[in-house]
Amino acid sequence: MDLEREGGRGANQLRPIDCSRNVLSRAHGSASCSHGETRVLAAVYGPKAGTKKNENPEKACIEVIWKPKSGQIGKPEKEFEMILKRTLQNICLLNVHPNTTTSIIVQVVHDDGSLLPCAIHAACAALIDAGIPLKYLAVSISCCLTESGKILLDPNKLEEQKTKAFVCLAFPSSVHSVLTEGSINGIITSLTHGVMAGLCLFFNTVDDYFQCVEQGRAAITPLSNILKKKLQSQSAE
Amino acid sequence: MESKPSTTPSSFIDQQVFPGDVVLDLSKMANQTIKLGGGLRQDGDVISVMKAGKLRFSKPNKYWVESSNKRYVPSAGDNVLGIVVDAKADNFLVDIKGPTLAFLPVLAFEGGTRRNIPKFEMGTLLYVRVVKANTGMNPELSCMDASGKAAEYGPLKEGFMFESSTGLSRTLLSSPTCPVLETLGKKLAFEIAVGLNGRVWVNAASPSIVVLVANTIMKTESLSPVQQKIKVESLMQRMR
Repeated sequence: MDLEREGGRGANQLRPIDCSRNVLSRAHGSASCSHGETRVLAAVYGPKAGTKKNENPEKACIEVIWKPKSGQIGKPEKEFEMILKRTLQNICLLNVHPNTTTSIIVQVVHDDGSLLPCAIHAACAALIDAGIPLKYLAVSISCCLTESGKILLDPNKLEEQKTKAFVCLAFPSSVHSVLTEGSINGIITSLTHGVMAGLCLFFNTVDDYFQCVEQGRAAITPLSNILKKKLQSQSAE
Repeated sequence: MESKPSTTPSSFIDQQVFPGDVVLDLSKMANQTIKLGGGLRQDGDVISVMKAGKLRFSKPNKYWVESSNKRYVPSAGDNVLGIVVDAKADNFLVDIKGPTLAFLPVLAFEGGTRRNIPKFEMGTLLYVRVVKANTGMNPELSCMDASGKAAEYGPLKEGFMFESSTGLSRTLLSSPTCPVLETLGKKLAFEIAVGLNGRVWVNAASPSIVVLVANTIMKTESLSPVQQKIKVESLMQRMR
């Protein structure tokens, strides 16, 4: 029964997040993001002229390259590339610069759990740094489901390996608006892994998933504010 | 997301905004024409932000987002520094640090005819004016001003070109004269061409002056005006 987390974290508590922009001098946009010990570096090049052969020339094309910390590039890396590409395609405005390609290169510096959310934050910050037009920002959170049915947010590597199931969700970030009502709802990306077996009956599994979504949604606003504060303090001159 | 009933468009002006922020609600402003500059887009009934930066407003009705990037978004009327990449039958292909290459028609020079087409090699640095910049099309350039005169446009010979951000170019071109250039100009004699696409060209009689001017400009980018003056004077002291 894992009720105690490392460092005395609560079930809903996230690790300290740090984000910095413009870390690479040659890239058109770059950012480094860390969730606790997990660190990811992202670089953006573009928009550059021309799209790939099978892509729609009336829209901009996004290309993601995922570089693991060590080892050769294989299927897991391709999967991450595809997930990140679909997520970023949702947040980028693709008809502002038609027939161009934007390349995003993600380099894993250290993986201590919650890798995909960290990569999504780093890629978003790098896109902001490069000045690529975006619809909104994405904030992402991962949670794992313990055997006792408890949901832990932002697991580290040990927790991820011990638990049977984990979910990674990406939401549109909260925005400052002059409108009094109407916030952006919805999920951009959801990635589940493992078996969510409830203790008693079968229908608990779906409820567990929705509960993960609700807990993730509750964490959007504080997460957005932290990220914006980190990015703001650097761009102000 | 909690609602903020007292947020008016004026509270966002000169503030840092992020993509997705809604800054204007058009349904509340009837019968007004608003001009949107870069970084903003119309999304149904609201104006939302596309790029992170500071929201600016100029009377009577112009809104835009000011941000400093390494890449340039071409817009008509800008003076930029381009590098020739290729020469075709009708155009030169010029790189202006934008999403696509720009075309410089072969006849867009003062007194240009088919018989005296200039010969620019690959890598020639040009000071040009952006004539047209529409989405989906390659921007069009010209080496003449609006009235057809040459007016300083054309190839830049000798000197040294360095790249920086668009924000620095705007600071260097601001009026009244930017403190860095003013302080440097009091003691040194040099020529400078600033492109709004983040490229700057400097030329002077001796290489040491060129190096000093270029390094000073690059190093004082993030300082306030007062700090800039102090830094420039200290760098010039070291030279004497």
